[in-house]
Formats: sequence, C-alpha cells, structure tokens
Amino acid sequence: MKKSLTITVLLLIIALALNLSSAASAAGGGDDFGAVVKQIEQFYHVKHQSIPLLARASMKAATTAARIKGGEYKRLAEAGSVRVVFFENQDFNSRGGIVGFKASLTTAVGQTWSPLIQTLSATEEEQTYIFIRNAGEKFNVLVVTIERHDAVVVQVNLKPATLAMLLRDPNDMGKAITDDATKDDDR
Amino acid sequence: MKTLFQSVLKLATLSLLLIAGFSVSARAQSARLQLANLDYLAGKASQTVDVNIDEKLLHLTASFFGNEPDEKEIKALINGLKGIYVKSFEFEHEGEYSAADVEAIRTQLKSSAWTKIVGIVSKKEGDVEVYLMSDNNGISGLAVLSIEPKELTVVNIIGPVDIAKLATLEDQFGIPDLGIERPAKIKSKN
Repeated sequence: MKKSLTITVLLLIIALALNLSSAASAAGGGDDFGAVVKQIEQFYHVKHQSIPLLARASMKAATTAARIKGGEYKRLAEAGSVRVVFFENQDFNSRGGIVGFKASLTTAVGQTWSPLIQTLSATEEEQTYIFIRNAGEKFNVLVVTIERHDAVVVQVNLKPATLAMLLRDPNDMGKAITDDATKDDDR
Repeated sequence: MKTLFQSVLKLATLSLLLIAGFSVSARAQSARLQLANLDYLAGKASQTVDVNIDEKLLHLTASFFGNEPDEKEIKALINGLKGIYVKSFEFEHEGEYSAADVEAIRTQLKSSAWTKIVGIVSKKEGDVEVYLMSDNNGISGLAVLSIEPKELTVVNIIGPVDIAKLATLEDQFGIPDLGIERPAKIKSKN
C-alpha cells in the first residue's frame, strides 16, 4: 500500500515537472516558437496543454506523409528536432479578427522566418501557417494549425530533400508535417 | 568662381535626378505585384490561400527533381524563376470583393512593361487575364488574374516563365488549377 502510494506521488511529481518545463519553454524562453504560442494564448485567451502523450492519443490517424511519399511511411522531421504544443477543447473564435491575428502572428514569429503558405477560412475559423527558416544545411519549419476547438504548433528540422518534396504541394505540407510530428514512433 | 559653383550645382542636381530616375525605373521594372491591398478579403472569404515561394526555395526544389519526362519539364520551367506568389480567395456569396480590389491589381499591370496576352482560354467560368512582363533579356514575369463571381485569384510568377507551358505548373507549388488551356497561338495586346 505504502509502496503504491510512493509510486503514485513520484509519478505525479514527474508529470508536474514535465508540465512546468514544457510550459516554461513554450511561453518564456525568448524563442520564436514560444513567442508564437504566447501570441495564440493572448489573442484567443486560451492555454496550451503540455501533456503530449494524451494529446497524441487523440490525434487522427495520419496518412498524408505516406501519400505524398507515394509509398512506405517515412519520417519527415529529423530525429530530436520536433517541438510540439497542443491546445485542446478550447474556443478559437477570432470574432471577425482573423486578419488581425494573421498580422500579429507574423510579427510574433520574427523576421528570421519567411511566411511560406497561409490558408485561412474565416467562416470555419480554420487557419494554417507555415513559416520557414534556413538553418545551415537544413531548414527549420514552423507550422501553426488552428481549428475551431483545437490548435497545434509544431517546429521541426527538415532536410533539403524532404523540404523540396513537400514544396511541390505546399497546400498539404502543413498537415503532413503536423501529422508526422504528432505521430507515435511505433508506427 | 561663381560659374564653377553653378556648374557643380547643376551637375549635382542632374546626378540626383538621374539616381532618382533609375531608382523609380528599377522599382517599376520589378515583376513582383503588390497584393497587400487584398489581404483584408481574408476576413470575408470562406477559403484564403497565400503562397510565397522565393527563388532560393524554387532552386532547392528544382535540384531534387529527377529525370522522368514530367519532372524534367517542370524542372526546366522553374529553373530560372525568382519567385511564385499566389493569393486566392473563395467566397460563399457573390459581391464579396469589389471592382476596386481588382482594379488595384490591374493598375499595376497597365505599365508599359506589362503586356496583356489575348487568346488564353480557361475551362472555368469567369475571366482569366494573363499578363507578361518583358525586358531586354526576354520574359521577366507573369501575372494571372482569375476573376469569378465567388472567387478571386492572383498568380504572380517572377522570372522567365514559358507561357505555353503555364498549364504544366497548375496544381504545383501552390498554383491553383486555373483551367488554362494551352493557347494555339499567343497574341499580345497592350
């Protein structure tokens, strides 16, 4: 009994520590990824969740990456490069201010990033933003996907060949990267 | 002494005017259209797509194309390009964008550097207007306006694009399917 209580307390402490560390890196830190998360939180009055395992479990099955590749599934993001923040079951209503949000997000992301593609649906409150940045021999790609009740912010490193492949169909690029980054590794 | 001062002043003024002239001319010669006036439409549209692919990304993509016939054709098409920019808006109802929105783009295309190409046919309803910019080295840019009652699309390609193969780029690099049929013979109209 005492042993199981100790394990429970330990697990709670670990979960709390993970939560705090993720929140700190997303909201503070002074990085562009954190600035984007903060901008979403401020504009929509929402809070991100830092329980990626639970969030991952609820993600829809992803097939886009495999479709683009035209064959077997292959990871797009470089190992260890993925940063993800989820917003689940919250209200993403811009109240007619979607254009203003777009402008504020572009400002928040900073000048080192270039906007590659932005798709918006003001009526459905759906938005996808892809920003890109050259990082030596690879590229940093930042994807922001916002729907009526959920949002995901993903940053990954892509090899030039992977980016070139995705650029042929930039409209599907955001979904492919987000699906890839939020999938479990055992697929 | 006074004469020398006046001559220097005249030369300086002339130089300034020339520099200003070159600067204006250089700006006027750019094939990149200013489309920011359309941004507000994103607040009304049921679907907005905004694509910005610069020269570096185009070259990167081109370098990974293979030797299959279709890939070779696209590679040849994008190799010299300096940018592909697309803004597309779909609306639920007619009349959501104004004639002034379109006119602001057309005004930029009225400069002598741009030539409207006639004889371009689209399978889609509405008007499709195609413009080419030329300089001493040949074609330096292309603009396509697709104007439908519930849809407005502007495609702006910077660089030496082959107009006869424009349809090949549809559904690639964010360029929507404009329904453009390959023109039998291209005619221009200023």
